[in-house]
Amino acid sequence: MIPYTIEPRVDTGVTNVTLGVWLFLASEVMLFGALFSAYALLRVSAVAWPHGRDLLSVDTGLINTAVLLAATFLVWRARARDSRPSVRRLLGSSVLAVVFVAVKGHEYQSELARGLVPATNTFMAMYFTLTGLHALHVVGGTIANLWAVIGSRRVGPAMTAGRVHALSLYWAFVDVVWLVILALVYLS
Amino acid sequence: MRIVSTDHKVIGLQYLVTSLTFLVAGFLFILLIRWQLAYPGQPIPLIGGWLAASMAPGGVMLPEFYNQLTAMHGTTMVFLGVVPFAVGAFGNYLIPLMIGAPDMAFPRLNATSYWLYLAGGLVMFAGFFLPGGAASSGWTSYPPLADIATAGQTTWLVGMFLIILSSLLGAINSITTILQLRAPGLTMMRLPFFVWTQLVTSFLLLLAFPPLQGAAVLQLMDRLAKTSFFLPSGLVVAGSSLSVSGGGSPILWQHLFWFLAHPEVYVLILPALGIVAEVIANATRKPLWGYRAMVGSALFMGGMSFLVWAHHMFLTGMGTTMSAFFQVTTMIISVPSVVIVSSLLLSLHGGSIRFTVPALFALGFLPMFGVGGLSGLPLGLAASDIPLHDTYYVVGHFHYVVAPGTLFALFAGIYYWFPKVTGRMLHAGLGRIHFWGSLVGMNGVFFPMFVQGLAGVNRRLYDGGRSYASGAAIAHTYSGQWWSVVLLGVVQLVFIANLVWTLARGRRAAENPWRATTLEWTTTSPPPHENFDTPPQVRRGPYDYSPAGAIDDFVAQDHA
Repeated sequence: MIPYTIEPRVDTGVTNVTLGVWLFLASEVMLFGALFSAYALLRVSAVAWPHGRDLLSVDTGLINTAVLLAATFLVWRARARDSRPSVRRLLGSSVLAVVFVAVKGHEYQSELARGLVPATNTFMAMYFTLTGLHALHVVGGTIANLWAVIGSRRVGPAMTAGRVHALSLYWAFVDVVWLVILALVYLS
Repeated sequence: MRIVSTDHKVIGLQYLVTSLTFLVAGFLFILLIRWQLAYPGQPIPLIGGWLAASMAPGGVMLPEFYNQLTAMHGTTMVFLGVVPFAVGAFGNYLIPLMIGAPDMAFPRLNATSYWLYLAGGLVMFAGFFLPGGAASSGWTSYPPLADIATAGQTTWLVGMFLIILSSLLGAINSITTILQLRAPGLTMMRLPFFVWTQLVTSFLLLLAFPPLQGAAVLQLMDRLAKTSFFLPSGLVVAGSSLSVSGGGSPILWQHLFWFLAHPEVYVLILPALGIVAEVIANATRKPLWGYRAMVGSALFMGGMSFLVWAHHMFLTGMGTTMSAFFQVTTMIISVPSVVIVSSLLLSLHGGSIRFTVPALFALGFLPMFGVGGLSGLPLGLAASDIPLHDTYYVVGHFHYVVAPGTLFALFAGIYYWFPKVTGRMLHAGLGRIHFWGSLVGMNGVFFPMFVQGLAGVNRRLYDGGRSYASGAAIAHTYSGQWWSVVLLGVVQLVFIANLVWTLARGRRAAENPWRATTLEWTTTSPPPHENFDTPPQVRRGPYDYSPAGAIDDFVAQDHA
């Protein structure tokens, strides 16, 4: 039996899952940090750089921001609750996450229809890469939500609470990345 | 043994067998490369006839195939061979045992990272069966070349993505295990130095690898979605201009690549230093000299390794301010390596050294790593780096660090922990043949590279530079390297024979044949599932050798 899966270790003050998810987020910061740095370097050395608001639908971006923040809010509400409402909130959050991905897909479709593809220019290339990677993170988070829901009966409320705690940290990170993308790509 | 297991010992052995297989593959590539350099235009002996017409028609190697071999040799040795060997195999098997834990913190994640690694390696090697062959743009995959290379580059990128995912998961697991699952009484400053090196290494993998993962995604976009992240405007390829949007930067790739690849050097060397420290403390029968300084140096080295990457890029025309910054940081980072190696040397002083096979490899490591490290100093200063850049001198430098450096340490580790893993001692006579043969072979291959590099021979020429006056002048040095590689291959066969023979009928070992102090020696050989029958309680530091007043010349960490 692996110790400290449910109760925190006294001298470190955390459980294995909490430490693991923080480490994972640290690596994610480096991943998106590298991509944002690439964005900055390419933008400052570009001859011309289009405004995101001229090419993209800012309204759709803002609606999706609200959807994503609501999804995260529900995961945070699922923390520190007994297992039944927390399962309902995780499911609700997953539905919102699916809505986010659907809206994103619709947005891609309308851009492709207007002839805006990754090969159009480096701005569009950055847009598709950043939002695509971010959408993959939303899909991953949704799968993790459902995994926590399905496993909740088997592993019991204490373990599920640990998982929901980890999920809440992950979703907060996904939000932060989205807000940076919103600022760098849509609004600038 | 189940094929899909979550036991850290099984996963460690899976990593070991897989990484050794990849090392053999990387070595076979080098046999072909060295034949071509020694005897260009002559049919490859024995296997030449079997190679496809797209590789070596009539057994004579094509330049395109030579480029695939060098790119895949580097990638295989670094990402599929040495790192999974040092971190995947040694880390997985030994960390839980050395800290008195039943397993890694996340056993299922552990299995996932092994299978991702295997998948990544296989995807990369699948490139050999594509039209145009495997990746051929060097292990660094510099664009624009890599952006417009044949399909093998795409499998290289996908494979790299999977390997990075694998090492990220592995790093999270190792750090969590070391911080969370230490046995009662095992404070951080009582950790064996090997565990410290694995901890720092895991942080490097965790934080340095993601930028390359991001870069791999960008290069995949360039290749598949025709973006121009790394393609500048106005590029002309084969006489016609590329129809891409342009505006990208090839230098951006170099930054992202070396931001990983310099810390990667310390990923290669830190676990090796850890193994050598364990073996030297055991062979000299005295505590390590300067344990605290060594731990501090390992931590400092890890942090500093994020600030030196652009010393690989002095030729990109960076300004003098940038270049001065990276020269200074590069000189600073040599200090902690020197502290660790000096501490290991001083640890020998006054010891009664047992010249066992692991000790021979550990002692061989010290001067070889010294040659590798010191030959790197001229490369860290722009004035001397610019003429030496991309010559064989560079190849000689990093091979001394990784081959007779890291690989010797890993061999020391194999001989040292083999009785723990299998309950049998490797044959010492065959081990000595392996050591002395490898020492002669490695130096025979790598030392001439310094001569070739100082003569100004570029490292990427498939005829060894014979078409240039500088290369023609040193062309006779290649045949000695060919015979050294043959010797190296023969003694590795002795090593493999030793492994097989010992597994079948080697001498049985007790649970602590080296009379060592750390926790892994207090359990049975091989250790049971969950490692310890009763969870150990640690009461002292890791190297309590020859303490005053004790009956024996060592006291185990859990001894009252």
